[in-house]
Amino acid sequence: MQIAVHCYGATRLHTGSDTLMLSLPEPATVADALAALASRSEAFAALLKQCAVAIGDELVRRTHPLKPGDELALLPPVAGG
Amino acid sequence: MDDLAFDAPRIQERPLVLDELLVPARDDCGALAIFAGTVRNHHDGKPVTHLIYTAHVRLADKMIRAIEQEIGMRHGVPLCRVVHRIGRLAIGEVAIYAVVRAPHRAEAFAALRAAVDAVKHRVPIWKEEFYADGTSAFVTGCCIAEPEAAAHGDAHHSHSH
Repeated sequence: MQIAVHCYGATRLHTGSDTLMLSLPEPATVADALAALASRSEAFAALLKQCAVAIGDELVRRTHPLKPGDELALLPPVAGG
Repeated sequence: MDDLAFDAPRIQERPLVLDELLVPARDDCGALAIFAGTVRNHHDGKPVTHLIYTAHVRLADKMIRAIEQEIGMRHGVPLCRVVHRIGRLAIGEVAIYAVVRAPHRAEAFAALRAAVDAVKHRVPIWKEEFYADGTSAFVTGCCIAEPEAAAHGDAHHSHSH
């Protein structure tokens, strides 16, 4: 399946773009998507471990099953204020 | 807590306006506590020229509203409002306003501090600092991933932000 990944904060420094498309074998979970992304570099893999993931305006767990066309947001450690 | 009088976006690209958080006045409250977070011109000894804040706007807006409700209930304060700015901010500009009204000052101060801490620690907002030497960096923040995903829990790290 194809999903979109939106990169927030420092994650876009590792992907070079705000959004990227990912192809995953079905069935797939959020953890599978993160594992596929982690293969890009060790530094990105380390940051992904600290990322929360959202779909729409909901935080989702690593075990959350993905559907084709899902749009994941990668949320690295936050620093508002 | 029922604050239907304030429906402004909690994440705003325009300069924040404190007066919008202060109306209407509350005759039942004797304390009004206000926090403003402003852009500092240095970080870890390096001169900072400006910041760029970004956010997951939908989620951040929803989470700030939930934090306002949570703080209101936990601290027994009838009004708690927080707005956060995104985009490019110059030194001295306001990045966050938090406002609490309460019958007395003790719960107002406590709720105000808790609201600001919760927003800083939990809401998907990021701060990129730009330095006088032309470099930039994202400020190290608090991990909001589920505990089993990250070895780095937000209860144990040091806070320079």
